Amino acid sequence: MAVKEVLVYPDPRLKEMCAPVDDFDDSVRQLLQDLVDTMIDAGHSVGVAAPQIGDLRRAVVVDVSKSKLGKKQVNHGLMQMVNPKIIETEGSQVVREGCMSVPDYTGNVTRAEKIVVQYLDENGDFKVVPSEGFEAIAIQHELDHLDGHLFLDRVSSLKTDLFRRKQKK
Amino acid sequence: MQYFALTIIGRDRPGIVSQVTEILYRDGFNIADSSCSILGGQFSMILIISNPKITSKEQFADDFAKLEESNLSVFIRTLKPGGEERPELEGHLCMISVYGADKPGIVYQVAKELGDRQINITDLNTKLIGDEKRPVYVMMIEAILPDEVEIETVESWMVELKQKLQVDISVRSLLAVEL
Repeated sequence: MAVKEVLVYPDPRLKEMCAPVDDFDDSVRQLLQDLVDTMIDAGHSVGVAAPQIGDLRRAVVVDVSKSKLGKKQVNHGLMQMVNPKIIETEGSQVVREGCMSVPDYTGNVTRAEKIVVQYLDENGDFKVVPSEGFEAIAIQHELDHLDGHLFLDRVSSLKTDLFRRKQKK
Repeated sequence: MQYFALTIIGRDRPGIVSQVTEILYRDGFNIADSSCSILGGQFSMILIISNPKITSKEQFADDFAKLEESNLSVFIRTLKPGGEERPELEGHLCMISVYGADKPGIVYQVAKELGDRQINITDLNTKLIGDEKRPVYVMMIEAILPDEVEIETVESWMVELKQKLQVDISVRSLLAVEL
């Protein structure tokens, strides 16, 4: 059990591109365990990405099953993902997101409604999993961390959208 | 620390923000919160500002009075203690879209349905779109619903209004998640 400190912006590690995991060794299993421990320790957190605890490898954990919103929806419980990649998206929805690494601020972000994500699980097995609802949002949010993106990079506002559409005519 | 609300409005042109913020910067003000937007042909700025060395607006009002010479209107409001803090609002977010042929009273009548029930509006935008022959009014409201108020309940409040105003109204929940 190793609960790590969750880094907060402007820590530069949150803006780094993370490296793929080539060897699925014990250090990867340890990283996943640390992510799970940190997520659980952070109370209502539904996911943590490796760079949030200062490890610049492509790994995230997501678990919406313990959250008020997530437990009402279909979900996969605890997902431990190494080298995750979203291979399909469908639909879009606006979500007001907040992030442990950017406290006291929320913004409207457009996310896909449904996704298909591929990854290596905690046993190093290749998985392809469809996800939707809150879980899909959480996965998209955590995966963004691996590319150095914060939700602040994705904030959209309805007002601007309306304005843009008008200009296109 | 003493906080002030600064409101500035004037015909839009490039350079308004830099002109205003240069004064704030030179006087040593912090901008705690702000929202600036173009409304019609007017650029409008609303800022919550503070400066550890300044306790009354007389100390800096003259610096901003200069802006009036470049056709900007300036208003400074002295906040009461705690006036810079957003009240803790319990509940879930919803978005209400209202749109239809332009007619008087759309904003008021929708807002009244919410206000009469103590529903807090946290954001509101309106825009007149379409052409002169067929003006269309669009309004977007973001409001916080107390836990016991469901989206369907808000929809039911709007049913009669839709008929009466002949506008389309949709209500949906805005998912707010901490990740």
